Amino acid sequence: MNELGIAFEMMGVGMITVFVILALVVLLGNLIIRFVNKYIPEVVTQKVQPATVKSGGINPKKMAAIVSAVKTVTGGKGHVSKIEKL
Amino acid sequence: MTAIQAIIDGPGTLLMLAIGGLLLYLGIRKKYEPLLLVPIAFGLVLANLPGGGMGVVPAELVQIDEHHYMNLFEIAHEYGIMNFVYYSLIKTGFLPPIIFMGVGALTDFGPMLRNLRLAFFGAAAQIGIFTVLVSAILMGFTPGEAASLGIIGGADGPTAIYTTIKLAPHLLGPIAIAAYSYMALVPVIVPLVTRLTCSEKELRINMKEMDKLYPPKYTIKNLKAVKIAFPIVLGIVISIFVPSSVPLLGMLLFGNLIKEVGVTVARLSDAATGSIMNTATIFLGLAVGATMTAEVFLDVKTIMIIVGGFIAFAISIAGGIVAVKVYNMIAKKKINPLIGATGLSAVPMASRVANEIAIKYDPKNHVLQYCMASNISGVIGSAVAAGVLISFLG
Repeated sequence: MNELGIAFEMMGVGMITVFVILALVVLLGNLIIRFVNKYIPEVVTQKVQPATVKSGGINPKKMAAIVSAVKTVTGGKGHVSKIEKL
Repeated sequence: MTAIQAIIDGPGTLLMLAIGGLLLYLGIRKKYEPLLLVPIAFGLVLANLPGGGMGVVPAELVQIDEHHYMNLFEIAHEYGIMNFVYYSLIKTGFLPPIIFMGVGALTDFGPMLRNLRLAFFGAAAQIGIFTVLVSAILMGFTPGEAASLGIIGGADGPTAIYTTIKLAPHLLGPIAIAAYSYMALVPVIVPLVTRLTCSEKELRINMKEMDKLYPPKYTIKNLKAVKIAFPIVLGIVISIFVPSSVPLLGMLLFGNLIKEVGVTVARLSDAATGSIMNTATIFLGLAVGATMTAEVFLDVKTIMIIVGGFIAFAISIAGGIVAVKVYNMIAKKKINPLIGATGLSAVPMASRVANEIAIKYDPKNHVLQYCMASNISGVIGSAVAAGVLISFLG
């Protein structure tokens, strides 16, 4: 009987704790989003203008893929200025 | 000759080898969680081969007195390498958090951050854990055993193993098998429970249409920054409120952080999701399988664990669905109950299955991203529930 009492206590405490923690997840998530939106909105990176990239006759789709890959790998800091076939 | 005599003396060995063969078949042929089921099954076979000395021995045999145990060299010398692996990596609770680190590095919190309110359904879906805990105590299980049985309802393998190591290590084998088997059976169990609890009208609720009718209050302007800050802040807060869940959640959030930081720590992220996680999985599977010797596994409790685990799983899914139904009664913006059904862990399989069900009723209703929100919060919820159980009973 005592063990059953502990089980019900665990059920109550456990479910309340899970709800509280996930409520905190929601609250913290919202606070972080608001903070980031206000103080660190996305850094505007200079878009690579196709005209400025010397493509060396490379297919535009391939060029876009290379530019995108460089952006991903360098975290948006790298820019493609020239592409040439070796 | 000695091995044949051992089989004659203990026919349970043959039965265990047959069970090992069945699990290998399910893992290899049916592809039921093969990454874990294959090592577990082979560990089981090794442990039950007579004379091999690969079975894990009970903790009493390595305990010298109340607070002292044999050292690892003595364990390896006396009981072989599998006991060395078990007592150094499993019994210490080392491997499940390591696997959680890899899971964290594979997890994208993005869907949850975009639909934060859906995280609540990950809490509702933990009801199966505690319902089965109470039922198991009524059926004669000790509180530690009942908690380990109930945690199967969280649908999270490493969490189930970690909790069982802490509360009922003698049941580790059957509980690991039940947890991973039911996770593999998510494509069967989720549609079954959904069919029994949801109407066609509810399953047709289109989440994207609802978003158009009731758009979110704000959009995330810098998702990358949010994703980096989130695991750091959440890790600190959880360690304050539920410290016993930190070994699991702390490692999950660390893994996620190194994923989100990106290229500067890509080597760490690659290691966490690749070599470290794979190595941990091999040792975890083999050692868990090696705990399943005939004397331990062939017990009525094993059958009760298999049945109880299924009930815990089903109640958790139903709990999430009921929570959505209650929410829909009071909210204007309706939610598809499938999002509640994925409130248990089993990421991302539960979400994929739910998405397939939704598409069956409405080909334009893609609910995957929404389901992932409650699915990921379910991982956090089950680890918190495990932390509560361990702090009560550990």
